[in-house]
Amino acid sequence: MSDTITIRVKCFSHVKQALKKDELALSIPKGSSTDVVINAVLDMAGGKLNAIKMRVAVNHSYEPEPIMLKEGDEVALIPPVQGG
Amino acid sequence: MIKTEIINGPITPFPSDDNHRDDGAEVVFNGRVRDTENGKQIIALEYEHYEKMTEKEIQALAEEAAKKFPIRDLSCRHRIGKVPVGEASLHVSIWAEHRQEAIQGLDWFIRELKKRVPVWKWAVYPDGTKEASSHESC
Repeated sequence: MSDTITIRVKCFSHVKQALKKDELALSIPKGSSTDVVINAVLDMAGGKLNAIKMRVAVNHSYEPEPIMLKEGDEVALIPPVQGG
Repeated sequence: MIKTEIINGPITPFPSDDNHRDDGAEVVFNGRVRDTENGKQIIALEYEHYEKMTEKEIQALAEEAAKKFPIRDLSCRHRIGKVPVGEASLHVSIWAEHRQEAIQGLDWFIRELKKRVPVWKWAVYPDGTKEASSHESC
């Protein structure tokens, strides 16, 4: 049985610009929380996103606190929104 | 009645309505694209959104506004995709018995929309390049 899970990460705005991708698959240790995803993306961005405060949505709902992820979850990193 | 729509194309404003006989206020807001973004000349803004969340969030926000303020109807159209300078990116109409609650409800709805609905702007420059808009310009 695998010790990792694979999740999908949706990227928007500055996250998309920094990673040059609008979506990526990420393998993370089983039992990981959303914080692991944020830190992984910040590492991948090489410092370009450090000044941006991001929220997280899991399976299309905002999650204000870190939650544990499961195989196949869709995690969106939400930079400050700019509608209107 | 609450009505919200996400539109990939020009926005047609909701028509003014003479049949709201109990409402003394009809407040209409059109948000339009300025010709500068972050101090630079642009030809358009390109609105990106998280499709699976946007409609749900904007509808929930409109319903919350109708509970929080004594407004009768709220209609909102938000445009996504490329919006040339001068064109409307957001249209909101609110009906209420009195102007104060209509104006306050409109102000609250737009302020919350700018905090909660997952939409982002990309500045499109005259040479065709684009970049994610600075968060200071929200």
